[in-house]
Amino acid sequence: MQTMSHRLLPRFADGMGRAFLALILVFLYLPIAVLALMGFNESVHYALPFEFSTKWYEALAGNDRLLTASFNSVWIAVANTVIATVIGTMAAFALGRFRFRGRTVMQLLLFPPITIPWLIIGTAMLVLFFWTGVGRGLHSMLLGHVALSLPYVIIVVGARMASFGPELEEAAASLGATPVQAFWRVSLPVLMPGIVAASLFAFAVSFDQFVISYFLAPPGTSVLPVEIFSAIRKGFTPEVNAISTIVIFVSMGIMLAFARLSKFGGER
Amino acid sequence: MRKAGLLTTAAMALALSAGMAQAEELHVLNWQGYGTDEAWAMETFEAATGVTVVHDYFNSEQEMLTKLRTSPGAYDVILINSAFTQQAADEGLIQPIDTSRLENFAALSPGLRDAPDLSYDGEVYGVAWTWGLTSIAYDTTEVDPGTSIDILWDPQYAGNVGLRDDSVENVAIAAIATGQNMNDPADMDLIREKLRELKPQIRTYWSSEDEWNKEFSADSFDVSVYWSGSASRSATAFNLPVGFFIPDEGAIAWLDGLSIATDAPNLDAAYAFIDYMDSADFYVRWDTEAGAPASANPSAMDMLPDTAFNKVVLSRPGATDHLQFMAPLSDEKREEFLEVWEETKAYFAE
Amino acid sequence: MRAETRRRWAIAGLTGPAYLWLTLTIFLPLSAMLWFSFQRKGPFGRHETEFTLKHYEAFFTKDYLQDLTWRSLEMGLQVTVICLILGFPAAYVLAKRIKGRWREALFLLIVLPFWSNALVRIFSWTVVLRPGGVLDSAVQSVFPGAPSIDLADSWSAVIIGLVHSYLPYMILTCYLSLQAIDDSLIEAARSLGASALTILWRIVLPLAIPGLAAGAVLIFVPVIGSFFEPKLLGGTQGVVIGTVIEEQFTVVSNWPLGGALSFILLAIVLLILAVSYPFLKDRMRTA
Repeated sequence: MQTMSHRLLPRFADGMGRAFLALILVFLYLPIAVLALMGFNESVHYALPFEFSTKWYEALAGNDRLLTASFNSVWIAVANTVIATVIGTMAAFALGRFRFRGRTVMQLLLFPPITIPWLIIGTAMLVLFFWTGVGRGLHSMLLGHVALSLPYVIIVVGARMASFGPELEEAAASLGATPVQAFWRVSLPVLMPGIVAASLFAFAVSFDQFVISYFLAPPGTSVLPVEIFSAIRKGFTPEVNAISTIVIFVSMGIMLAFARLSKFGGER
Repeated sequence: MRKAGLLTTAAMALALSAGMAQAEELHVLNWQGYGTDEAWAMETFEAATGVTVVHDYFNSEQEMLTKLRTSPGAYDVILINSAFTQQAADEGLIQPIDTSRLENFAALSPGLRDAPDLSYDGEVYGVAWTWGLTSIAYDTTEVDPGTSIDILWDPQYAGNVGLRDDSVENVAIAAIATGQNMNDPADMDLIREKLRELKPQIRTYWSSEDEWNKEFSADSFDVSVYWSGSASRSATAFNLPVGFFIPDEGAIAWLDGLSIATDAPNLDAAYAFIDYMDSADFYVRWDTEAGAPASANPSAMDMLPDTAFNKVVLSRPGATDHLQFMAPLSDEKREEFLEVWEETKAYFAE
Repeated sequence: MRAETRRRWAIAGLTGPAYLWLTLTIFLPLSAMLWFSFQRKGPFGRHETEFTLKHYEAFFTKDYLQDLTWRSLEMGLQVTVICLILGFPAAYVLAKRIKGRWREALFLLIVLPFWSNALVRIFSWTVVLRPGGVLDSAVQSVFPGAPSIDLADSWSAVIIGLVHSYLPYMILTCYLSLQAIDDSLIEAARSLGASALTILWRIVLPLAIPGLAAGAVLIFVPVIGSFFEPKLLGGTQGVVIGTVIEEQFTVVSNWPLGGALSFILLAIVLLILAVSYPFLKDRMRTA
């Protein structure tokens, strides 16, 4: 596999391409930058002109409720990501690699969870959990989060799988590898970027999930998105920006560390 | 005032001195930022009774009902608007109140205390707590309000009017503007028309107090339908130039009551807490520091200075002549109102 | 036969956990919802169960419900198309033009906005778009006296906010497919004299279809059901079918209607899928 850079377009277009990507990034980060900046703005009403102040971060330090909620969000999201990525990837692999009766139906079944507004699913879950005695609680939230993340994981990993035929594994098999070996040493590395992308989505789905969390959280416990949503009623102050900014930086840190440890951009 | 405070505290302590366990909790279900979760109030209560107050919140009455239905034994005290008390009682979600356990009950305004909507099957299910108005708020620096509800339809303020995204409230406003009973309008078509006429007036809807404050500060609207307690808060706590008046045609009035859940785990603390909430002690500090709707306790209202926001609003001659109180509505009625409002919104969006 | 049995076990074992989870937590509750949608009233309070089609009929008899559904579909289409136009080239550059450490870093940077809280992020958009906001101030400082930029409370604001939230999906899914394309394929085509456009149309696009389709699904489907972003960004323009569905749960206890409308939405999605699947299947190639 050569890494000879090909010229699909002349060099000029190369620079254009990078500029375009840069513009996209500016677009993606514009509200994030505003979000972060407003955490340092004096005005409680988000009014401009901008006046620097750290008071919101100070207030945040004493805001137990927000801090506990953030912590809850993180560990639920981590648990969710691990579970959803593992069982989702397994399912995606089977759906992509094997032909069997009911395969199409199973693929179609991924649509209801992403089509039907989470509000409906949340209410339905709440009712069912109530009737079956599962009740509200952190375990219910986790049940709900994984359920919502699974379609994303399966679709994303599935897309990656669809881009690679079974030839690689067949080649490995013809060289004497068992199916399991073929999977670990050939399929998995090739799927890795898809799996990583899927796990990042799963984390995002859980971490930012407020509808399901809202319905299923036990009274008294909370997660960050719910706290933020409730704060909107009372007084949505820039403290919320402060915690969101912190979360972004911490996430960035985690992701960079993760990137150092694994080469998931793909071999080519 | 000091004396009343000590009395209340003593009363609370007495009420709880029998059969207290350690580390007791009281679970309250309410709107966020609506009095029961004032930090100093919870501290005062805990200091007097040893009971920690834990809150859970809702963002709509339907949500409150859903939470009650699916979490038996999770809550003690719940805030229920008088338009919903009977429904909650009928579903067996709340228990009858033993009013003899409440020190402050007898002293409440009879009209509110004995409001039929707070009773069900001959028993009291909600303790009158606060009441307020939904009426017209305006930017004092830009608007000269006059006295009519038609200010909302005034072309002078086109694009500058704020409406809450609430079907019951808006149908009620249209009903008042067309001289009808807001709880049972005779001519829904007239209401539909009246609402549609608002199209050029509205730029955006608000649905929470905080949103209102933000939009108002950003100058999205100069005239708006708003709640009296919240207007008081916006003026007092946030220093916004908010004026408020009750139009000649009338305004919407609502009554909030405190109820006790059917499987309330901590009944003693629940009664003590409700008593504290209805005390002048609590109310005066609440209104002074944060701004609040009117209290059901007349002695509490008397203790406010004459310049208090609510007093000023209510003291205008004829102010309370045409108030209509929100009453319980059947599911069908609510759905009908919602449909009218949704159609209107779809029309506005064209 | 043994190989066949082993194969069956493999499939069951691999798909089992995920689908069991989904069945218990989503399909079962949704089935209950489906059941409710055929009842006159929701499951609470004292009343008899009464089978009716009236909630589904409502969609066909009430104009505003159809209008709002069209609005939602339009919204989904606009957002998906814009994400396609912006996302595909971005993914291409990332997959083919950037190498090594940079690529990983950029990959992460694109995902990072996902992890910011949606509410705060959408609210930040209003700060950017409203008169006197960031965009307006920026323009004013460069061209003083220019007409004030007021994009808040408008359909455009809704589209901008949604594109912003969902663009990373498209970029990433396209990336996953594009990155799988062997460079030597393109080299070979080039050396055979194929023009850039031909290579794009006959090699790159067909191979990228899984990514494009996945991105389109992950964007279009949730967007048509959304109500939150339209509400915050759209002002009076921000009313869509999602709004109506939400209100059946938060303003009244009309779960049957809310459920019925959701299932109609699902039916529309499946219809669109049924129509487009054969078309895509034909064009698709694997690497």
